[in-house]
Amino acid sequence: MLSLPLLKQSIRSNAVMWGSMTGVMTLLCVQFSMLDMTRSLLFTIFYGMMTTILPGIYVLVTANKLLASQVDRGSMAYVLATPTKRSTVTFTQAFYLVNSLIAMFGVQTLAHLATNAAKPIALGEMGYTMLAGDLTSKMIAQVNLSALMVCIALSAVCFMFSGIFSSSKYSIGLSGTFIGVSILANMLAMFGNLGVDGLKNFKYLTICSFYDYQSVLFSGNEWITKLIFPAAIAVAAFTVGELCFSKKDLPL
Amino acid sequence: MREIIRVNDMTKDYGEGRGIFGFDFSVTEGEVFGIVGTNGSGKTTTLRHLMGFLKPDSGSCSIMGLDCRRDTHRIMKHVGYVPGEIDFPDVGTGTSFLKIQADFLGVRDKKRIAELVDMFKLDTDAPLKRMSKGMKQKTALVTAFMARPDILLLDEPSTGLDPLMRDTLIELILEEKRRGATVLMSSHIFKELDDTADRVLFIDGGRMTELVEKSELGRDMPQTYRLGFKDRGDYERFLGLTRLRVLHKSPEHLHLDVAVPADRLSQLFNEMSSFDMRYMKYRPFTLESYYSEIIEKGGKKSA
Repeated sequence: MLSLPLLKQSIRSNAVMWGSMTGVMTLLCVQFSMLDMTRSLLFTIFYGMMTTILPGIYVLVTANKLLASQVDRGSMAYVLATPTKRSTVTFTQAFYLVNSLIAMFGVQTLAHLATNAAKPIALGEMGYTMLAGDLTSKMIAQVNLSALMVCIALSAVCFMFSGIFSSSKYSIGLSGTFIGVSILANMLAMFGNLGVDGLKNFKYLTICSFYDYQSVLFSGNEWITKLIFPAAIAVAAFTVGELCFSKKDLPL
Repeated sequence: MREIIRVNDMTKDYGEGRGIFGFDFSVTEGEVFGIVGTNGSGKTTTLRHLMGFLKPDSGSCSIMGLDCRRDTHRIMKHVGYVPGEIDFPDVGTGTSFLKIQADFLGVRDKKRIAELVDMFKLDTDAPLKRMSKGMKQKTALVTAFMARPDILLLDEPSTGLDPLMRDTLIELILEEKRRGATVLMSSHIFKELDDTADRVLFIDGGRMTELVEKSELGRDMPQTYRLGFKDRGDYERFLGLTRLRVLHKSPEHLHLDVAVPADRLSQLFNEMSSFDMRYMKYRPFTLESYYSEIIEKGGKKSA
């Protein structure tokens, strides 16, 4: 099912992209949670936008590199000229993609837990005046889990396009449109939440709406139910990508 | 002899006359089988089918009795492949690529890799992206041969190699053949197939035009001699007199190429006896002369 040499190869060829995105995200998180100037915006700016934009860029580029670009350039021939099934290829690449996101959020979460322990922040300070107490470690973990699941769904859709198309330009074109619309609609919907009523309906245009940090901060359970939808989208998209890649003609 | 590769009435139609149509041949164990054709004639498409990358529109192909598309991963345990287009995964240097490839193929014995790297004088420390065409080709060749596969599928394996390295490659292919490997290679360089192949398949415009047994090639075919004359008078006189087929005239150099049927060499000497010859040269029969003799003329006729 899993090909270790391929996993090694994928880690190696995507290390730079993963490293820089994880680095930027972690640095921003540390900055937003530590600096007095920006602390109040930790949720609106950082958790509201950065945790989808940065992983979004990462999955857009990486999902394309994992399948479509290798078929397009022809290097996939070296993988498939070995006793490796096509289904093993897609499984390994999807495994890499999901786990690299888990690692990305893992690093970021650990950094935030550390800064939060060093310099706790009251929920009221971030605009949630109706809530008492500080931001807890549990909340940080839950918010990140919620964001992670949405990012996995985003990655799965990009991976699906990467599996369907043998040409990078189509794979990255459609994935780019998808990521762009998802993130833009999410930002517009956020302005809707902040008071611009006309923009509220944009939340129906994006799967980022299943990422619900407010529910976590209010200690609600909604965010848990909302995990199911991105999870289902991810399973469906990975499956479609797998089937298309295994069935199609490869110009290698 | 066991049949290793079998192609059954296989067609892949890309439209507008592109693709391959009704390919049907087989390759037996230990044979070197060549495919010759111009660019776009269907060599690579044929190999891609054998590699299981493409699914034929009709017909089928199998290797060792296993369907190429369905049982690809089982076939690949026995196959070394050099793709027609070389582009490597993004893994840094040649060394790390070869290491990962060895892992993929389950090659534990690193001696063979070192041997091949040495044979091709390959600098594996170079980054893959900076490699010249020839170096990339050599890296691809090392990958294909490292596991000592039973079957080699080589798509224009000598592309980008210098003449010396091309000879090294021919030697390597012959060595693999002696070991018992079955080789299917495509090429548009006749010399390499002359030196290696047992049988050669000519293809043109996606169709098989001729399947030639090398051992029979030239045996019953007319042999070509080039005759050089002293002066124009002799040249013209011979042309008027000869009953042999003249393949090529060159009045400016005062020489002729004539086709001499295998059993009528004495006729040539009889005809020549009354002439002052400058020289007479035997022109060995090659795939190239066969190609220009048979295929090109046939092609022009049908066109």
